[in-house]
Amino acid sequence: MSGPTSSALPRRSELLNYRPRLADRIGEPGLRALSALAGVLAVALILWIAETVFNDAGPAITKYGLGFIGRQVWNPDANGGVGSFGALDFIYGTLVSSLIAMVIATPLAVAIALYLTELAPRVVRRPVAILVELLAAIPSVILGLWGILVLGPFLGNRLEPFLHRILGWIPLFGGIPSPYGMLTAALVLTIMALPIITAVAREVFASTPAELKEGAWALGATRWEMVRMVVLPAGRAGVVGAVILGLGRALGEAIAVTQVIGNTPQIQASLFAPAGTLAAQIASEYQSANPGLGQASLIFLAAILLVISLLVNVIARLYVRRVSVR
Amino acid sequence: MQGAAPAHRNPLAPAPGARRRRLINRAMEGVATVAAALAVAVLLLVVISVLIKGLPAINLDFLTKNPAPFGQRGGGIANSIVGSAILIGLASAMSVPVAVLIAIFTSEFAGRRTAGAIRFALDILNGVPTIVTGVFVFGLIVYGARQSGWAGGIALAVIELPIVARSAQEVLELVPRSLREAGLALGLRRWRVVLRIVLPTAAGGLITGAVLGVARVAGETAPLLFTSSIFSNFGLTTNPAQAMPNIPVTIFGLSESPSPSDHAAAWAAALVLIAFVLLLSIVARSFHERSRSRLRG
Amino acid sequence: MIVAAIVGGTLALAACGSATPSSGTGSGGRAKALVGAGSTLVAPLMSVWQPTYYKRYGVAITYGAIGSGGGIVQLIARTVDFGASDAPFLRAQAAACHGCLEIPWALAATLVAYHLKGAPNHLRFSGRVLADIWLGRIRRWDDPAIRRLNPHVKLPDTAILPVHRVDGSGDTYAFVDYLDRVSPRFRAEIGPPAPIVNWPGGVGGRGNSGVGGVLSAANGTIAYIAIAYVLQSHFDYGLVENQAGRFPTPGIPSIAAAADALRSVPAGGRRGVSIVDPPASAPDAYPISTFTYVLVPTATRPGIAPTLRRFISWAVTAGQRFGPKLDFAPLPQAVVRADLADVRLIR
Repeated sequence: MSGPTSSALPRRSELLNYRPRLADRIGEPGLRALSALAGVLAVALILWIAETVFNDAGPAITKYGLGFIGRQVWNPDANGGVGSFGALDFIYGTLVSSLIAMVIATPLAVAIALYLTELAPRVVRRPVAILVELLAAIPSVILGLWGILVLGPFLGNRLEPFLHRILGWIPLFGGIPSPYGMLTAALVLTIMALPIITAVAREVFASTPAELKEGAWALGATRWEMVRMVVLPAGRAGVVGAVILGLGRALGEAIAVTQVIGNTPQIQASLFAPAGTLAAQIASEYQSANPGLGQASLIFLAAILLVISLLVNVIARLYVRRVSVR
Repeated sequence: MQGAAPAHRNPLAPAPGARRRRLINRAMEGVATVAAALAVAVLLLVVISVLIKGLPAINLDFLTKNPAPFGQRGGGIANSIVGSAILIGLASAMSVPVAVLIAIFTSEFAGRRTAGAIRFALDILNGVPTIVTGVFVFGLIVYGARQSGWAGGIALAVIELPIVARSAQEVLELVPRSLREAGLALGLRRWRVVLRIVLPTAAGGLITGAVLGVARVAGETAPLLFTSSIFSNFGLTTNPAQAMPNIPVTIFGLSESPSPSDHAAAWAAALVLIAFVLLLSIVARSFHERSRSRLRG
Repeated sequence: MIVAAIVGGTLALAACGSATPSSGTGSGGRAKALVGAGSTLVAPLMSVWQPTYYKRYGVAITYGAIGSGGGIVQLIARTVDFGASDAPFLRAQAAACHGCLEIPWALAATLVAYHLKGAPNHLRFSGRVLADIWLGRIRRWDDPAIRRLNPHVKLPDTAILPVHRVDGSGDTYAFVDYLDRVSPRFRAEIGPPAPIVNWPGGVGGRGNSGVGGVLSAANGTIAYIAIAYVLQSHFDYGLVENQAGRFPTPGIPSIAAAADALRSVPAGGRRGVSIVDPPASAPDAYPISTFTYVLVPTATRPGIAPTLRRFISWAVTAGQRFGPKLDFAPLPQAVVRADLADVRLIR
């Protein structure tokens, strides 16, 4: 255990005749000012980002206003290179891919969190928890690589044709099977959001008041009944926060999504069809966006994405905070 | 629960319906176990894919040579490895000191409200999509000028900052008040207490936070797309005024190629990256445990 | 401790690196490095030019293959010294670039490649059929229109998945230019040629490389890809009918034939030189051939102009020697003469 080094201790003479030394005169206010500056930077940074993004999106905001969100057109080189833009296709793609990911990830994450807090034998608990956390550490470009070369071909050449044969009459499965599409992207997003939801849900379940659980045991409940009657209801707010945090992760993912989603702005019923999301489109086009309206429209997409993810994050933090305070 | 039991029933026998409840319980336990197994399986699937497909392509050449011209075989990712190292170094040099300063501010000097606000702001900053951060730095520095290692480093620093700062805040708060008070009682000014007592005590945890930050930004691709993606593929680039080759963008490009040898190179580069990131994560976590227990005990 | 050492070490490395000059003037005002970006079609040739030119003249050329649209945009923003694009400037782009030149410096073609299990190589297509495929009107490989062109082939009943470029692409420009001329319906729906157009459906890929990736991953796909990539990846590719009713094999002879059909070369290299859909008087011409241009400002940064002039002059003369191996046809002499005249306009 490290303690104060002896050189930090003042000499006896100093204690008796204490006069503020030059170093102290500079050091004390210096550290205060420097660290305060850093604190200001922490808050200013987010504002700075928002200001810059909205500023750079200016020409598009002036031209389209909020109607941009409802326009379903993305033609960057129309009218001799001026372009005609609208965000609807990408908002649809972003929301649908993230929602599907949440629908699949949430029950899985809750189940895993319950397993880790209630069911797993002590020996298994740590390793499995660590493994699930390591899933969160995998860089998205590698998940995208795996999506392109492993998951995509599996979906496009095996699973989707199978679903199409059996359930093709449902519009969801009615399109042409393709390795690149909404389904592949949604599954990749599921893998990315899962560890986050699991981690938070775990904390939530672990902090269920013991006396409530013991009460259920005393009444003769089975483990599942105890979970159903005590743990889940008590943790409901926290799980909601966890899911929203996971949603925030999914909404903002650009790289892995753009690698597998096919990058075609369109709204189709089929899960197999290629689509586009806000983040993926920015990643696709940023380099070749025409200066002026083109770039501004792309950054307008970024502004919309920023607003959506800020909102989601703030709401999530409010939920999670509520839980930890309790 | 049930109505009055018939008088002749054995009171010690299990209640009717208990079998069904037990079966449901078993089923649910099975579901939970399967879910956990599924998550582990997916992780193993991804990591094993990278291992199996990447390992064959890793050799000394791969790690020490630059990419070969179009259509030719051979070559490696040496320039990307060096470039990534420089980018991460720049990012950490910029973000870690600032992060520690922020943590010092919130744990030593700020009031409760201010500290809470800063914590909130950092959490929000953490949730900004990294592609938006890239757009931000692009608009700030790159537009009208050039891509550069500095721009890439700054973008990564913005992403690394909240991670390191939040971790540092937690650690500094764990340092026992008694240590600080002892220093103050001995006549040390606040700043000396911080620099000579608090920081060294928390050093392990601070390093852990920095390591976690590095692990996170090592794999970030989106911010580098805007700031450091048009780079030279022959010769090492070490000048941060130029765009730095880096591993994530390289993997990104290789992943979309049709050529099987490009795919093999992508897997191999992914292996290098994932090994680095996972190693750092594991090291950070075990360090985390040790320093926590030391601080408490 | 270790972390500090690593951080310190990389910073030292970076500091050493800063000492060496980046792009800019060396001693005596002539730049020793050029930065360019753009077309993926010309990227294979560029990757051979880079080391060769460095060895010959000591000038390091950095090139980012981000697509023709990207090259145009980067040049407009002056983040690069030169752009490379197979697509000429659009009206608004030319205005924004303030007096930039398009100088054709290589000659290649865009092929129609496909991935179809159970089908042979060199299927035959007409312009109208291709237009209808990308418009989504022809949906299956065994469609009568395709069968009519390939009577002795058993085509499988697979769905067609047309692939396009999501980034700004000169191949898109050339392909749309061609389809616009052979299909009025296509022109009405899609509009004039541009580096990015609004495709109805299909899958998007990034760069010629990315499109190739999509092609190799999915069965039933059909895509337009630059010739060097198709041949390097050994994709099956189609034979496209030209105005003379023939189906020439894409390659240097048929590409050169398309360029030879050029009536005149506009001076000052503006607006590009389109050679798609050559007239029937060139019976062996491949109908989707395209020049690719280097885009340069007429007013450059100090020290760049002489280096740039020499590089481009070299590229259109000695540099052409490296083209044939990558399926670039040599530039016609008339074009080379016009280019060398235009190069002198770079200040």
